Amino acid sequence: MTTYTSTQDAVKPAAKTKTRINLRRETKAYINPYLAGILLGVVLFLAFFITGSGLGASGGMNRLLVVVQDAIAPDHVDRTPYLLEMAGGDKNPLDSWVVWVTIGVVLGGFVSGWRNGRIQVETNRGPRMPVKLRWVTAFVGGAFMGYGARFARGCTSGQALSGGAVLSVGSWAFMFAVFAGAYALAYFVRKLWL
Amino acid sequence: MTLFPLPLSQYFAPFGVYLVYLLIGFAFGNVLEMAGFGNSRKLAAQFYFRDMTVLKVMFGAIITAMVLIFSATALGLLDYNLIWVNPTYLWPGIVGGLIMGVGFIIGGF
Repeated sequence: MTTYTSTQDAVKPAAKTKTRINLRRETKAYINPYLAGILLGVVLFLAFFITGSGLGASGGMNRLLVVVQDAIAPDHVDRTPYLLEMAGGDKNPLDSWVVWVTIGVVLGGFVSGWRNGRIQVETNRGPRMPVKLRWVTAFVGGAFMGYGARFARGCTSGQALSGGAVLSVGSWAFMFAVFAGAYALAYFVRKLWL
Repeated sequence: MTLFPLPLSQYFAPFGVYLVYLLIGFAFGNVLEMAGFGNSRKLAAQFYFRDMTVLKVMFGAIITAMVLIFSATALGLLDYNLIWVNPTYLWPGIVGGLIMGVGFIIGGF
């Protein structure tokens, strides 16, 4: 019987079901959120300061998918103006800054997880949530997020974080809409997490 | 005379530019993981008021970056006109944001 006490429990590995890649590394706690906020702000500032563009994630994912689309359905790409902009003619969808930021995020996240002993095979879920069902909800949630991110021309990184820092009105409206949507639905899906 | 942002493509296109973005992404992913954003349960706990890490990190980052960007502009180091500011599409932003919020709490990321 597992009871949910605090999120700190979620941080500590339950040892039995999880496979740790490097056993020598002790699992460390996450850093202070305010310190993390300042560090993230410095990274975001440096991105703007050096390159002129902020950070992004969904745009890179989008372009990686367009590569696949262009390979299996090039006719569809040629008929869709939105896709044509990225993959039309001799354009390579990977020739974009956001693709490289996205690849960097995966590498950076992996290295931090490894340094702090958090690399493991696990399924993050609430104590009452079956593993298989969690994979289904992860997929459904991901589909909503992908659709919403393209609809709004950006995700929590590209719109909320980057647009928020340079005071774009649309980005702030987007950010409050994301939190409103999630808070409004949270009570009804509490069995997923609590 | 503003120096920044750097005209990267004039220096070392294209692979050097990709490398710069790769390093920025690396730092981004590194900080996100350190903050606990790799843990869906921690992210979802935000919406049950049990762990406000997401709000603290996001708004901390926005305010820090904002102060640095506008300070650098005021000091004449950064040309704000060359910075990408997301154009406002109000209703697509709100509707897309609500859809993303739904995905956020169902998917946990």
